[in-house]
Amino acid sequence: MAAYLQALRTDEADSVLATHHDGRTLAHRLTDKYGDRVCSAFTVFGREGSFAPLPDDLPTGLAQALGARGIDRLYSHQQEAWDAARAGRHVLVATPTASGKTLCYTMPVLASVLEAGAKALYLFPTKALAQDQVAELLDINRAGDLGVKAFTFDGDTPGDARQAIRQHGDVVVSNPDMLHQAVLPHHTKWAQFFENLRYVVIDEIHTYRGVFGSHLANVLRRLKRICAFYGVRPQFVLCSATIGNATEHAQALIEDEVVTIARSGAPSGDKHVLLWNPPVINPDLGLRASARSQTNLIARVAIKAKMKTLVFAQSRLMVEVLTKYLKDVFDHDTRKPARIRAYRGGYLPTERREVEREMRAGNVDGIVSTSALELGVDIGSLDAVVLNGYPGSIAATWQRFGRAGRRQQPSLGVLVATSAPLDQYLMRHPAFLTEASPEHARIQPDQPLILLDHIRCAAFELPFATGDAFGPDDAEPYLRVLAESEVLHNEGDRWEWIADSYPANAVSLRSVADGNFVVVDRTEGRQTIIAEVDYSAAALTLYEGAIHMIQSVPYQVEKLDWEGRKAYCTRTRVDYYTDAIDYTKLKELECFDGGKSGEGSARHGEVHVVRRVSGYKKIRYYTHENIGYGPVNLPDQELHSTAVWWQLPQTVLDEAFRSRQHALDGFLGAAYAVHIAAVVAVMAEPRDLQKAVGSGDGVWSAQVDASGRGQVRAPDGDLALPDTLERFLPTVYLYDNFPGGVGLSEPLFRRAPELLRHALATVEGCDCKAGCPACVGPVLAADEGREETPRALASRVLRLLGADA
Amino acid sequence: MSDLASKLAVLRRQAGIAAPQGSPARPAPTGSGVPGQAGQATAWWEPTVSAKGARDTPTRPPDLATLRRMAGVRERLAQPRAPLRAHTRDVPGDELSPGLRYLEQRFAWAEPPAELDLSFAKLTTARREQFLHFDTETTGLAGGTGTRAFMIGAADWHDGALRVRQLYITAMAAEAAMLREFARWIEPETVLVSYNGKSYDAPLLATRYRLARLPNPLPGRAHVDLLHPMRRRYRQVWENCKMQTAERKLLRIVREDDLPGSEAPRAWLTYLRGGSSANLVRVAEHNLQDVRSLSGLLVEAHGWAAMDGAAVSPPGYEK
Repeated sequence: MAAYLQALRTDEADSVLATHHDGRTLAHRLTDKYGDRVCSAFTVFGREGSFAPLPDDLPTGLAQALGARGIDRLYSHQQEAWDAARAGRHVLVATPTASGKTLCYTMPVLASVLEAGAKALYLFPTKALAQDQVAELLDINRAGDLGVKAFTFDGDTPGDARQAIRQHGDVVVSNPDMLHQAVLPHHTKWAQFFENLRYVVIDEIHTYRGVFGSHLANVLRRLKRICAFYGVRPQFVLCSATIGNATEHAQALIEDEVVTIARSGAPSGDKHVLLWNPPVINPDLGLRASARSQTNLIARVAIKAKMKTLVFAQSRLMVEVLTKYLKDVFDHDTRKPARIRAYRGGYLPTERREVEREMRAGNVDGIVSTSALELGVDIGSLDAVVLNGYPGSIAATWQRFGRAGRRQQPSLGVLVATSAPLDQYLMRHPAFLTEASPEHARIQPDQPLILLDHIRCAAFELPFATGDAFGPDDAEPYLRVLAESEVLHNEGDRWEWIADSYPANAVSLRSVADGNFVVVDRTEGRQTIIAEVDYSAAALTLYEGAIHMIQSVPYQVEKLDWEGRKAYCTRTRVDYYTDAIDYTKLKELECFDGGKSGEGSARHGEVHVVRRVSGYKKIRYYTHENIGYGPVNLPDQELHSTAVWWQLPQTVLDEAFRSRQHALDGFLGAAYAVHIAAVVAVMAEPRDLQKAVGSGDGVWSAQVDASGRGQVRAPDGDLALPDTLERFLPTVYLYDNFPGGVGLSEPLFRRAPELLRHALATVEGCDCKAGCPACVGPVLAADEGREETPRALASRVLRLLGADA
Repeated sequence: MSDLASKLAVLRRQAGIAAPQGSPARPAPTGSGVPGQAGQATAWWEPTVSAKGARDTPTRPPDLATLRRMAGVRERLAQPRAPLRAHTRDVPGDELSPGLRYLEQRFAWAEPPAELDLSFAKLTTARREQFLHFDTETTGLAGGTGTRAFMIGAADWHDGALRVRQLYITAMAAEAAMLREFARWIEPETVLVSYNGKSYDAPLLATRYRLARLPNPLPGRAHVDLLHPMRRRYRQVWENCKMQTAERKLLRIVREDDLPGSEAPRAWLTYLRGGSSANLVRVAEHNLQDVRSLSGLLVEAHGWAAMDGAAVSPPGYEK
């Protein structure tokens, strides 16, 4: 434990501290001491609370229940929401994190249950949020002895409980996937519930973007169709975090007008924000200290200053590493209750609940989390939030900072930059964070394949009649396609479901595959499940030899049963952790269509996407030296999807670029710019439409490395130099990140010339010098002086592909 | 299917949507524009926010051939269609109303007990005229609102014989008429008899009555589901407790040329789509045997109380 002792002895944190701090004094103290690291410091001023009395028409029992829970007045936005809901309007509440959004829908819902025996459906994006919500409802119910029955209804609900929930649930708390697969296709069993359905509450609507959001919008169309069958027209109450277009997004989801309530009446303290760039430790190479070391420092300072601190890390692995470092300082006495806890996906539900409870009770001083705590999980109030790296969006950054701040108390938020080009760009241009509008959420519910899926599901639920619309469109062409494939039968003007299948099972709203892996601890003959890991993360975290950490306790994976979805591990003591090496490459399977594009070609077709974990690195704690590699032998993660791609022949490239490295950098920059244009053009989420640069024959793939340069990975997973490749046929791919594709790339092919033109206009019209996140991707400061800038290289590639400005 | 494609185009034009499919001829911006600056350059990709919300219509089903191909990438399950053969379209029974056919047959029956002891099903007794043995043939086992019954058979003791009445539909539109007719067969004192009907046939019919907006005649009626008493009694004895096992062991009935129940959906669909009625006829025979066997099994189960009183080992115990 020498490293840890050393860490204790040389703890910079001690020298900063007086005894007690709040967000303001600590921000000043940090700025004074580390002026060279604080790139920007600003204050988001708090506001006075604006209050309203409990409404007169609130049912007495409910008023008493709220009173018993210490609520004897409302924030102004809660009262506005009450008024709008009682006036029969659809309501959108878009106030900041922790402003008491829940009460905005709890009051009208419970009032309608008490007054009219009405029913309500709540939809949350995750099971954890749903369970929180039911716990909250049950608390209010107990406090006022209201007799309201609230249940979660999710995949874990046992069969015999389901019938009771259908018949007796006043408030059913579920998720979109369950509504889609279990409720709507069985709506007759829910007849009583639907006949009395008054409110549909959808929280965290900012998470329903892109394909997921498009699916939800269609599930809601189906819900409304079923409601119409039962003669009801429920009111929607929606909640959103701060995004650029909350009202439009809400209206796009429910396809109806909403009353937006965006001005929060909740009091808040000043928020002191620091943008923190790690110090340069090697001026010759321009190397900076790691973000991890700085995050660790800031968190230590804050916790020692008696501030409840939340650290956000970008990966599950980083959560565990940071937790370990903080535990080494604060939890070395194992007889005392833990002051530092980790929170992330992949823990068992019971463990997560326990951590939440401890945090709410104020027994935890430091929490390290992934984005899992970005949503509204109730963990009580905090004083400081430290972000280890930029979360990738402005909206998420503010959502995370919003976790800090008790009423009126000044709070601290620190964004620690990593060496990634985007983080470094932010440090040079802090206005990007404060002045640009938060991201917009976009959905495209009328995308043909998504529509086909949901019309299929809708036809199963209720027959269509000729002339029926689904969404804004006439459903008939889709009904015809479905009849041709013999799932529908057309008789007269009716289109009836006829196949022996359950279509909702074949349509997944999210791109994640099913099949959790369980992690089994076999230490000393035990057989205990200690974690669940979802399929997509399994290959990256459960390979044989991996150190799998839970609350920073290391277990080594000894055996992975891929088919059986089990990983067996034992408790271990090692001074290193492991990090997987993975890469993605694409191969063309079938070309549907293609044509010339400038000097090269543009094509559209089916591709094979392979994500491979080729090995892992062992990394020693504290020193972070690489102390060895291990091989990984796992099945590739494969995806058959549709894509659009562009390439230029080798001869053209040889003539136009000084070296292959230049050409490759140009392709990577062009891919970035085309991706931006494409995401906007088809209103996709970046995660749904992926970009990739690789060889046209699938032999090698290329990424941007930490220094902003293109890096080639050979078939064996090792790095290679572009000049050593036998054939050099760089290709820009845009592909649907869904099995089978969701139809995003096809319209891109049809509109390829426009797309290239707009990508070029973006690159050449940008105000930056060498490249930035708005055009070809962020570049490091060192590259701004490059003779041939990434921007110039990208624009050359785009012009060769036929784009003309 | 270019006629569909053109139809789609017409629909879109009627709806006032400008972009014709298959054509990239959206108004192209002039090249000098920089996205982010106001001007035409952004016009094509920024959603025109309508009162309805942020959704725009940048992509439209280009044509259905494309749609089919895209869908095909997912499924790739091109199933070869069976070639059409010469076939019969004859269907048995009388047409009660368009698309609803009715079959009635009577079977002599050694006088069954006038009153049956239902203690095996944790009920008391009932007169034999009260029983209605029923079974449905459905379009599948997927469950949910998309599965329907196309045939309902019911047997009862009537005028000294076992009367079997069967209803089936040859058109979807006749479903409501079938449900109405079946409801007429059920009296307040009717005791329903089925095999797995509590879990399968009754909920399925409940869904169908609900979808047809008709009152469901089944709730409130006593219902003897023979599967459960058979299971209780023979689980350790027989290889399984399927109905056909029970009728073989207890009634000594072995079916010949029986169309397996799993083939029923296809038989009906084949006929519905203009194919042969040969297998549909076999479905009716299968259903007929099912309800006849139900009546036999009920009498058998009625005998258990007396038999157990006499401490005789259950029949069918022949391992």
